[in-house]
Amino acid sequence: MIERKVVIRNQLGLHARPAALFVKKASRYLSRVTISKDGIEVNGKSILGILMLACEKGSRIILKVEGEDEKKCFKELLDLVKEKFDEE
Amino acid sequence: MARKIQVEELLTEQGEKFQFRLLAGEKGLKRKIFSSDINRPGLALAGYTGVFQWKRIQILGETEISYLNSLNPKTRRSSLKKMMSFEIPVLILAKGLSPPTELLELSSERKIPVLITHLKTTPFIHLFTEYLVERLSPETTLHGTLVDVYGVGLLLTGEAGIGKSECALSLVERGHRLVADDLVRITKIGGTVLMGRGCEQGERLRYHLEIRGLGIIDVPSIFGIHAVRQEKRVEMKVEIAKWPDSGDIDLTGLEERRIKILDVEIPYVKIPLAPGKDVAFLCEVGAKNYLLRVTGVNPAKNFDQELIRLMERKKGEEA
Repeated sequence: MIERKVVIRNQLGLHARPAALFVKKASRYLSRVTISKDGIEVNGKSILGILMLACEKGSRIILKVEGEDEKKCFKELLDLVKEKFDEE
Repeated sequence: MARKIQVEELLTEQGEKFQFRLLAGEKGLKRKIFSSDINRPGLALAGYTGVFQWKRIQILGETEISYLNSLNPKTRRSSLKKMMSFEIPVLILAKGLSPPTELLELSSERKIPVLITHLKTTPFIHLFTEYLVERLSPETTLHGTLVDVYGVGLLLTGEAGIGKSECALSLVERGHRLVADDLVRITKIGGTVLMGRGCEQGERLRYHLEIRGLGIIDVPSIFGIHAVRQEKRVEMKVEIAKWPDSGDIDLTGLEERRIKILDVEIPYVKIPLAPGKDVAFLCEVGAKNYLLRVTGVNPAKNFDQELIRLMERKKGEEA
């Protein structure tokens, strides 16, 4: 299992478009993906839960990936957040 | 693809409806009509052929005939000769007007057919244009099933055996209407509207569904005549896709995907099949969502904007 604190950096936060990107990427892997914020944990392959967290710019989330392809999956998802989901 | 009508076809297929009779120029019956536009050749007869729309059907009404009759025979002949030097597909006399003899002579000579109808000029033009538009509009045939769901024409597509017909059957059972199964003929009307109907030649071959394991089902016999309709505007394409095929599934509905049929854009959604999914029910909701959007409500956008506003507020509070 890989777990790490990540900061959301894009201006608009984790709204529908970036969340959709995240879910699409996560869904390509077998690993279980979860995001948690303020003690609430949601499934990283299900969009509505992620949106309910309302992760604004600057908020800290915990990204957790667990499974046989966890290394590759974690790196790809982390890069997506770091690259601000191709937004500002 | 360009469509056409041969004058001969027009005479045999529509002769009765428009009360057509051939007066002269039978050697030109193989001429083809490509345009649904008609032309009144008044100016061409008066001598101006600069922008003469000669490829169109030429209609001679009272104005043209009385003008021709006002000329002396020599001028009349040369006026008609000038107009008929063009490869006109067909000339139609309306209102049962008797043509000048020069017209008949020239039409035989030039092999341009002349038809006569007893219908009055303007009503004839309206009726005839309606027929021409339908007969000459671009057309294509697609593999799919067309259903009317809450008044929205849904074109169900997807590979053979995926369950389009079964989905249509469920929709019919819920009170919606079947238009065509397996092959849908789509016609573009007026440049922006796609009209769909079945391809069956005979009326009795219509409205059948092929259901794997059950065979051919006669929909109106089982569900009633209200379960079918002849034609329907195609407003949205719903593709039923195999799961997993999650690559390009729309998760938010923010994108409003569109596809082109005959160069007309319509919204397009893709529904992945998975155990427990009721595709027919999803089609119903898809149709209702479409109706909401048509009225200017966009649930995905509203949701996203509300979320962004909420996050902005939170950012402000922390700062």
